[in-house]
Amino acid sequence: MTAIRYLRLALLVLAALMQPALLRAHEASMGVLEFHEVRHGVYIGRWTMEPSIGAARVDLRVPSHCLLRLPEVNCGERGLVGPITIANLGANMAVVLIKLVPLAGEPRSYTISTANPVASILGTGAPTLQTWIELAKTYVNYGIDHILLGADHLLFVLGLIWIVGGGWRLVKTITAFTIGHSASLAAAAFGLIGVPERPLNACIALSIAFVGVEIVKQQRGEIGLTARHPWAVAFTFGLVHGIGFASALAGLGLERRLLPAALLFFNIGVEIGQLAFVLLVLALIWAHRRLDAVLPRWGEALPAYAIGSVSMFWFFGRLVRVLAPI
Amino acid sequence: MTLKYARGWIAAALLLLPSAADAHIIAARLGDFYMGALHPFTDLQDVILWTAMGVLAGSLGASKGRWLILVFPLGLLAGLAVGRMFGPVTGGLADASMLLVIGVLLAAAARIPTVLLCAIAFGLAALRGAANGSDLAPDTDRLLFAAGLACAGYTVVTLTMALTVMFRPTAADPTSWQAIAVRALGGWIAAIGLMMASFALAS
Repeated sequence: MTAIRYLRLALLVLAALMQPALLRAHEASMGVLEFHEVRHGVYIGRWTMEPSIGAARVDLRVPSHCLLRLPEVNCGERGLVGPITIANLGANMAVVLIKLVPLAGEPRSYTISTANPVASILGTGAPTLQTWIELAKTYVNYGIDHILLGADHLLFVLGLIWIVGGGWRLVKTITAFTIGHSASLAAAAFGLIGVPERPLNACIALSIAFVGVEIVKQQRGEIGLTARHPWAVAFTFGLVHGIGFASALAGLGLERRLLPAALLFFNIGVEIGQLAFVLLVLALIWAHRRLDAVLPRWGEALPAYAIGSVSMFWFFGRLVRVLAPI
Repeated sequence: MTLKYARGWIAAALLLLPSAADAHIIAARLGDFYMGALHPFTDLQDVILWTAMGVLAGSLGASKGRWLILVFPLGLLAGLAVGRMFGPVTGGLADASMLLVIGVLLAAAARIPTVLLCAIAFGLAALRGAANGSDLAPDTDRLLFAAGLACAGYTVVTLTMALTVMFRPTAADPTSWQAIAVRALGGWIAAIGLMMASFALAS
């Protein structure tokens, strides 16, 4: 019991050292802007949470057919449909939540962030071709951004490539990972399963540590679980990573009728980003072989230990946030 | 004839123009690591110089070229650090001279020693590292930017060297069409360097 208390205290100290500045910055950089439709196509905006830079300095951009004269946005007959963005997003204003309250229908909310700076307002009527195009553009880009910014997902994929090598085994492994994360992403997005985000992120970090250990085993001549059944390991951890992807879609205020399509486009974006990363890694492996530039014998284990160390650093950082939420 | 010269001057002007694409859009979307990784690709000078360096190293063979896998990214990092302390130390003439030297070495199929190759690569990378770091916004995370820039340098030079080694094996006959093609490419690179140098001196 005493040991657990000491461990918890140590983790709290670690949390105090690592997190506060980051969290404060994040909270201060958010804003919430509400638009109420007062008559057809005419909205009145109001900041319910003003960003730290001040409402007057926010450079809001509305669709070209709309006339912006804050607090009023007049979009005429076509209504407020199309891309909304904020041109001066940055460290001082990283996220803005935009809530739309139409005269008829459910209120909707959209998130504009540095990772996804354009929100596509889709209108309340039946989806048109333009709606689908806007939806595809938004969510394919969002998926690409999400995987490219997800260093933990990429590191896991890198570990898998390291163990499996190239050829059909890699194709099968990456396909299994894709099927795994697509299935759990869909299940989580439709609310069939739900896992708290913080423990899940810690598990994702552990999955990378597992791959690091498997690489070390392989280098020692032992045949680990991943070397024997790479597709099974990829599928299982793909399920875990997929729930992590779903957390990116949470809180975007997406309408249920558009959720399946948004999910599909988001997944396509994730796959495009993942495929680009896999191809880049394979190209670099090929280049190193062609140049005969391989690690010396004493340094062969370095990549595995680097992967393991980074993942354990993430794991402890995330565990701290589970045990001592701030 | 006049049109031919005009084309040349326009090409040179394009090479010397500051980046047309706004790299800060990349930073806003994907963060400072990707800004560092993609920043060089918004400037033709980086693309041409890095590729030329990779071709030169690859044409000298894998045993000499592979040193650049470490030396080139380290040069970029050193240039970024020096640029931060003393400001940008590069200009159009320095870049043009580098291009001219690399082009001439390629065209002459000169078998330069590994130490000289590494010195040229380090110097070029340091120049471009300083240039890339010169217009960073105050809120840019320099560590992430540097990591992105070094990764981009490593990737471009490694892939270019490997492709060159595959295209023109060192043991290939010097009169083979691959060897001649690489020398011809060197001639074009030298011509671009000469054009850029003339433009830099004239302006």
